[in-house]
Amino acid sequence: MSFCLELHLQQSEDYEILISKAGFKEAKKVIENHSPRILYVKPGAKVLGARIIGIPPIPIGIDETQSRITLPYTKPCHGTAVVDLPVEKEEIDKVKAIAVNPMKK
Amino acid sequence: MKKALILLGCPESPSQTPLALYTAHKLTKIGFEVTVASTPSASKLLEVSDSEEFYVNKKIDLELCLEDLEEKEYDLLVGFVHKDAAVSYFVTFYHILNTKSIAIVFEKDSDLLEKFLNDLKENTDATLISARAYHNPTPIRVKIDKAFNVLED
Repeated sequence: MSFCLELHLQQSEDYEILISKAGFKEAKKVIENHSPRILYVKPGAKVLGARIIGIPPIPIGIDETQSRITLPYTKPCHGTAVVDLPVEKEEIDKVKAIAVNPMKK
Repeated sequence: MKKALILLGCPESPSQTPLALYTAHKLTKIGFEVTVASTPSASKLLEVSDSEEFYVNKKIDLELCLEDLEEKEYDLLVGFVHKDAAVSYFVTFYHILNTKSIAIVFEKDSDLLEKFLNDLKENTDATLISARAYHNPTPIRVKIDKAFNVLED
């Protein structure tokens, strides 16, 4: 079964919010400063079963040793949060496959 | 019939709901089939304001709309932008749809208004309609009229 970000955030406590109610650019800096590797995706790209909302290029933080992903999570009334959560390795591979300009920090 | 998608943001700004109904009606008169994508709370405001669905009869949940959205699914995107998150949503819908787009940008704080406009200019080729507005929808309505007269031509 594929990962569903919405369901994970509703039903699990296994995630960390690095910042909340932020502007997108502020959230972007948090991701870029937090993760050992950053991949960039297009607006609307599907990551962990959810469309990623934001201004391009949108950073997705990758920590392959810990198998974790850090990503922006935007809601109309609450601004942008940054969520860091554990994922299966295959989910990291899916992000690599859709990255538009993979860059190592 | 051409299809237009109106994208609503957080309904916190009092001007959004009347402007959305006004814009939907204008688009319908021009000949568009109009769908409004919004949060549940913004949708409730539309339901109460337009209980007979005279102005808007096609509504869709914002998240559901985004999940299934495909390129060129609509001929026109009209987005209401009055928060940072609304900029992100508009840019995202713009990039997925890849269609003619209009952003209606309004904020009472002139610095924030300028920031939203710059972000939209840098990341889209959308037509931008903007005014300092919050409680009073008139400044932005006047500009909507001008922009939509061009659409009619």
